Amino acid sequence: MSEANENKEYTWINPLGVWGAKGGNYEVTSNQVSDPSDVWRKNTGYKVPTAKVGRLKHYHIWDNHNEKLWKRLRWWPTRRHLLHVKGIYNRKTLNAEKKILDRRPIYWIICMVILFIGPLLFPSSMQSSLLTAGATFGIFAAINVCWTLIIGTASIFSLATYAVVGVAAFLTSWLSINFGLPWFSLPLIGAAIGFGMGGLIALPALRLDGFYYALLTLGLNELCRVYFTTSQEFGSASGGLYGADSYLSESWSPAVQSHASYYIALMILIGALVLFRFVNGKRLGRILRMAPEKREAFAEACGVDYKRARIQIFILTSAALGLIGGLYTAHFRGVAFSIFSFDTVLLGLAMLTIGGIGKAEGAILGTLVVVFLDRVMIEWGPMRHFLIGALMLASVLWLNNGYFGIKQQFNAWRDKKRGEWRSTRTEKGGEALPEEATEIDDKDDLYFRRYDKMQRDYLKTLITPEIIAEHMAKPLGQHSEALERVLLYFRRAKMEDKYALHRVGPDGPFKIIAFSGVRGVSPRVVEDKEYPTEEAGYHGVFMRRVHDLLES
Amino acid sequence: MAEQKIFGYGNKISVKQGDEITFHVNCDGASTAEAQLVQLIHGDAHEAGPGHVEREIDNPVNGAWEVKKQFTQLGNFYSVEDPSSCLAMEKAFSMTCFIWPTMPKKGTRQTIMGRWDTRNNTGYALGISPQGYLEFWVGDGEEVDYITAEMPLLNKVWYAVGVAYDPSTNTATLHQTGVLNRYNSLVGPVVPYELDSHIQTKLRFHPDNKPGVPFLIGGARDSHVLRGDFINDLFAGKLDRPAVLSGAMSHAEFTECAKGTRPAQADLVAYWDTTEGLSENGVGQTLIDTGPNGLDAEGHNHPVRCMTGWNWTGKADCFRLAPEQYGGIEFHPDTVTDCKWEVTNRMTVPEDLPSGVYAIRLRVGPGEGISEEYIVFFVRPRTPRAKLAFLVPTASYLAYGNESLSFDAHIIQPMTGQPPVVTDLDIETYEHREFGLSTYDTYEDGAGVCYSSYLRPVINMRPKYRMSSMNITWQFPADLSIVAWIDKMGYDCDFITDEDVHREGIDCLRPYKCVITGTHPEYVSERMLDAQEDWVQEGGRLIYMGGNGYYWCVGFSEDHPECMEVRKLDSGMRAWAARPGEHYLQTTGEKSGLWKNRGRAPQKLLGVGFIAEGFETAMPFRKMPDSYHRTVSWITEGIEGELIGDCGLAYGGAAGVELDKYDLTLGTPPHTKIIASSGGHSDNYVLVTEELLYAYAGLVGSLDYRIRADVTYYTSWNHGAVFSTGSIGYGQALPANDFDNSASKMLKNVVDAFIKEGALPGSQWTLEEKQWR
Repeated sequence: MSEANENKEYTWINPLGVWGAKGGNYEVTSNQVSDPSDVWRKNTGYKVPTAKVGRLKHYHIWDNHNEKLWKRLRWWPTRRHLLHVKGIYNRKTLNAEKKILDRRPIYWIICMVILFIGPLLFPSSMQSSLLTAGATFGIFAAINVCWTLIIGTASIFSLATYAVVGVAAFLTSWLSINFGLPWFSLPLIGAAIGFGMGGLIALPALRLDGFYYALLTLGLNELCRVYFTTSQEFGSASGGLYGADSYLSESWSPAVQSHASYYIALMILIGALVLFRFVNGKRLGRILRMAPEKREAFAEACGVDYKRARIQIFILTSAALGLIGGLYTAHFRGVAFSIFSFDTVLLGLAMLTIGGIGKAEGAILGTLVVVFLDRVMIEWGPMRHFLIGALMLASVLWLNNGYFGIKQQFNAWRDKKRGEWRSTRTEKGGEALPEEATEIDDKDDLYFRRYDKMQRDYLKTLITPEIIAEHMAKPLGQHSEALERVLLYFRRAKMEDKYALHRVGPDGPFKIIAFSGVRGVSPRVVEDKEYPTEEAGYHGVFMRRVHDLLES
Repeated sequence: MAEQKIFGYGNKISVKQGDEITFHVNCDGASTAEAQLVQLIHGDAHEAGPGHVEREIDNPVNGAWEVKKQFTQLGNFYSVEDPSSCLAMEKAFSMTCFIWPTMPKKGTRQTIMGRWDTRNNTGYALGISPQGYLEFWVGDGEEVDYITAEMPLLNKVWYAVGVAYDPSTNTATLHQTGVLNRYNSLVGPVVPYELDSHIQTKLRFHPDNKPGVPFLIGGARDSHVLRGDFINDLFAGKLDRPAVLSGAMSHAEFTECAKGTRPAQADLVAYWDTTEGLSENGVGQTLIDTGPNGLDAEGHNHPVRCMTGWNWTGKADCFRLAPEQYGGIEFHPDTVTDCKWEVTNRMTVPEDLPSGVYAIRLRVGPGEGISEEYIVFFVRPRTPRAKLAFLVPTASYLAYGNESLSFDAHIIQPMTGQPPVVTDLDIETYEHREFGLSTYDTYEDGAGVCYSSYLRPVINMRPKYRMSSMNITWQFPADLSIVAWIDKMGYDCDFITDEDVHREGIDCLRPYKCVITGTHPEYVSERMLDAQEDWVQEGGRLIYMGGNGYYWCVGFSEDHPECMEVRKLDSGMRAWAARPGEHYLQTTGEKSGLWKNRGRAPQKLLGVGFIAEGFETAMPFRKMPDSYHRTVSWITEGIEGELIGDCGLAYGGAAGVELDKYDLTLGTPPHTKIIASSGGHSDNYVLVTEELLYAYAGLVGSLDYRIRADVTYYTSWNHGAVFSTGSIGYGQALPANDFDNSASKMLKNVVDAFIKEGALPGSQWTLEEKQWR
């Protein structure tokens, strides 16, 4: 308390005392109200440097349709519109603006267009290797999209994806070679094989999860590899089975063949994406989003049968993987043992990790990066595998959700930084900073904060032992000016956390509670202390308020 | 064990000997409750008084009652009786309506109108999405498909909205256009809002219109395992002229509708003309369909009508002047005027049960706090016998029924000058909000509550209850102090209620020589005022025991006597303010607000009227010089000294809480004498707002001479007279010191004189004085 503000003790005489007032003291020692100029001087400016705020409109924002009829198209057969667009009123201008809530369809279309016109853009020197890599990319991306459904959507940590594809590919190759089955039957047979295998691998998932299940499926993959590589039937001598029927006619020129192979692989990828959309974006996917990892028990208690949904997805996806296996055979005229190899599994895992688990776009980007490094940058030698490892490591170390989680992660980081910086600048309960003001719609609140701060700073100077004693003697009734000012301020507080008494029994005792300020939400008990009478309780409330005032 | 709670209400508040009354009880945590008929004598546990006093009465109704959980349907909506399923639209159809949403971003779905069943996802409806966008949705029993507007709906802005649906192409077109003008919305036309939105899309399937799904305006049917069917997805805001049309309307046709043009009768399936039936005397609960099928809709929980409509131009301030501009009907999702609980038990009032204040006391488990309930009712005699009657201010009980100022109104602490003292009962009622609100509360959407009824538990209309914000008894429990006084003094007294006086008029009062009011009869209807004025002219003698009485003008409709309507406006100490143009009562067509503003200030009948209120202290009265005049000196006879009422249960004095003052400029009869006045009220006592032309510093107890209570007396025709105490605290001062105190003495003097036939004491001392000193 500065010297200027030092309170001079004086005796306050109740002007109503002569009327025989029962409430309020007749005569009490109080303090004269102090000089507010100090408080005013301290509060007429910011204590921290301030800067201009605002963000320049640097891109085009679509207007709304207003009086024009807007015919909205949908993605058949869903109820989704082409773009998830919402009209909003700009908070600065109240202009009606369109906000695209989900830009992904635009990016997907751009990417698909690039993939389709890709061969036109490839340099002629690398045409053939890029087309081959493109085809490989398409098929592996399709596999990884399905894998994402298993690991991401169904949260089943299965490493047997390539085993399913491989088994289907080997069996269909064998059938095609030995029985001359035509290429178009292979995917269907593959799907049946995948379905069967899916059912088989799904069973342990009912009991095992996480690391143990991963080990089990890895073992299964290894088992398949050992079986097929050592089996005469499946070409242990030739490193794989070749000679199956294919949709790529050998009579076509190599250029046509590689182009056809590229586009067919792309179609397979699109097929996998459609599957992804219909599983992840529909009922099954929604059920599983209600039961994310570590919250399964809660979801189950809410009536979500997540296990069933997981197994359904697993089997469905396995059938799709088998189908891809069949197509694989039809595409490459056979299959090599490398499909089972440990590095295939690891490269696949790298593809998923880099892109971010759980997202189709993540699986595709990961596949693109890894396939490009693995198949196109062959001249880099083993270095490229180090690079893949480094990318994977970077993704795991620094990114929460792969490369497609970067934006979200960046925003969260910015929010955190904003919180940190603001806490160093803002004054609790003080004047709003210019940057804080942008977030407050009711500008009256800005003034209230200013006024309230001044009030509190001034009232703090009035709190003395004298007025506390005065209140204790008579909590109700006329009080000295200093106490009256303090009380008037306390009583005018907003409802949130405003104190009151709770009558515990019919005749007391009383406990201090605080109102929620939220309609329909009960008050909370502030402290366990019980006051025997209303008067003691009133004084208890007063002391709490004094404490809060001095703390602020 | 679950917490045991019991709440109930009766179907009547005033019953005659021999009449039947039914009781409706909801109980949690118990299946039987112990019931006991009791006569209530005193209801304040204050140590200065006799404490809680009740007398158990033998009656067959006493004993164990089977009780159960009962559910309450909250919210306003209209249900349409549609036996021939005209609204199960199988062909192309359209719907149009004007809307003024008050909580567009409520976060839950709101239905404007439709034939929608939430449990099965069947039917169709037009409404507002949880995010605040206009939406039309259809369901086929499996899935829901919808079309959503482009721009969000703004709070308190009038829109014309509509949808056209054609099942042949499965195309739905949603229209929304702003019809904001200079008067009708929260903001004016200067704000650069583009309000329009017109969307068309193909839906994936047709709505399945299952039989039995009701068409509702303002809600949709839902279902709950324990509760069964109920109405959910309630709308908050005003609706105007909802309509269903056959055929999918074109954009141009919608534009016509948005201009207010009524579609051709041949195109209509239903057209609920919300202005139809608005009359000189208000309008009822039925919403009339002026379309070809006569599908009238019935309002639930009193949707508020006679509100400004989409086309209000601000010139007419009353629905009687321009009914076509008053098609607005306001819906509140959290209102209730009839809990509609099943009957738990019934009782025929014995013919020999003396007139008085009675209650069914119900107890479960510990039998205190929320496990104890009193269902209060007033028994009046089949044939009036007594000279004295106590007029129970039931209208005012309704006005304050279940108020929650302590919890929601931040102004209450500065007003009362103390922290509230709340009980478990207050918290329970506040948390659950199933028993409706008082006219001192606002709905969740911010609008003031204008309807209050007794077909719901009224938790503060019971003995032992203290108003939490003031920590004193209030209304019913406070009036029990007068009841206890009448009992103690041994007067033969009949009990009649506001409801009886409103229904029967002067006939209800005529048998009595003297009528004594409650401590705070604040809410009165025109018929109640008329009856009392006429009765005083005929020689009736009124003792006004209150402060801030005969203040608000209220209305009751003939078919819903249990439900009171008030609109608070312009001036007066008021918890909310009706919006411009919405100042007239739906139930009667009268202007509501203060009687003072309608030319009937309370001073004209009572001699005094509201001047100040304050809550932490009370003062005694001091005799005024005129009390020594022989015309009135009998009133203070036997009172020693100058002070009257220097003790009491409300802050320790007879003059306190709310104070009334004599005022010739407001119509106090000119020959009125002030017997005593209080003074020295603390600064918590502030001048009432209706006295305020300019606000200036110092309008508080220690600085303004007007802030006081006056005890007044005047005589009327035929030996009629009115005695007023001018303070709420007076009634609560009576029981102090075992009813032996100066306030009690003065009242006894008056009652003794008033119940005697013939001329009043002192009535001969009327010549001009020829004084020597």
